Amino acid sequence: MESPTGENMVALTESMERMESRLEAAAALVERAATLLEERESSMSGEVRKIVAAVETSREAELQKKLDAAEQQIAELRAEIETKPEAQPETHAPSARRTVPASTAQFLAKQGLSTLESVEAGALDAALNGLSLEQRIAVKAQLLRAGVVS
Amino acid sequence: MKLEAMAVTLPEVAGHPNRAPFTGVLTLVDEPSTKPPSGARGHRVILTRRAALSALPSLLGMAVDYAPSWDGHDSRRKCGIITHADVEGSRLLVAGYLFAKDFPEVERQVRQGVPGTMGMSWELADAHVEDMRAEIWTLTRATFTGAAILLREKAAYRNTSFELAAARCRSTMTRLAPAECVQAGATGHSRDRARVAFPKRPLRKEQTWNHQQAKTWSR
Repeated sequence: MESPTGENMVALTESMERMESRLEAAAALVERAATLLEERESSMSGEVRKIVAAVETSREAELQKKLDAAEQQIAELRAEIETKPEAQPETHAPSARRTVPASTAQFLAKQGLSTLESVEAGALDAALNGLSLEQRIAVKAQLLRAGVVS
Repeated sequence: MKLEAMAVTLPEVAGHPNRAPFTGVLTLVDEPSTKPPSGARGHRVILTRRAALSALPSLLGMAVDYAPSWDGHDSRRKCGIITHADVEGSRLLVAGYLFAKDFPEVERQVRQGVPGTMGMSWELADAHVEDMRAEIWTLTRATFTGAAILLREKAAYRNTSFELAAARCRSTMTRLAPAECVQAGATGHSRDRARVAFPKRPLRKEQTWNHQQAKTWSR
């Protein structure tokens, strides 16, 4: 059996323990509040890359409006793409191969390049050797468009 | 009145054909702009005195430019250089040279135009805004990257000005400071030099000038 003094001591200890836990909780709350305030302050302040102390001209305002509209459109398109991921493979499908113009095919055939499925760079350069620079560029551009060379 | 000054000293060249000394009020410190500056997303701004003083060194050696329509900046038309910058009261005063031979149209506009119609505008980079949500942005830190000569009505601050010295082809420093202060390439931070660079206007003249500016603005 405990003495009255011992009971008092136990009660006091329990009370102190409760107070300690409450103080700890309060300290945690204060810390959280401080963090929130810091975050809020940093979100309120900001950097501006360039400011000019001249009033905005109507042209600048117009351009700004156009820029805002374009940015909004980009954001909408992005959101649309993100919401339809299944549509992406179709958009990335390879483009259909075009044909080489008949005159170019004939010329290359005369030079010994009868098949255009795969043309080696060396063979092509040798075949185009007799042409002027502009003609060589034109032929290569046609082959590039047709997907024969890359 | 508190005066903070800073200057880049240039060597004296008597009768220089391409130097036309100018003085001007670039902006007001600790006062909100009359109109929202370009790039401030519709907010008027206050450049704090502290920010302006910290940024004074960045202003020296910067160019003044102009746009042919006199309504803004064109950084590819640099027609002069700032060599002095002072904060006197609430006014940030600047002085320097206009390249008058290279840009006769600028000199013509300033000299032959209606007095008091020309003003100045600063260009700031990396400006720190204290509270982006405030109606009037307070700029607490910034770097001056240039200035422009423009019509006062096109400036965000109403009380700016730009004036060319009456006599051309004289060194600003010679006109404004003792010859022994003039050293090529040296920088100075002198209150006395600034006092001679920007002599106080007589009170009555100041009042008349302000009145004229207010009238011009109201028009």
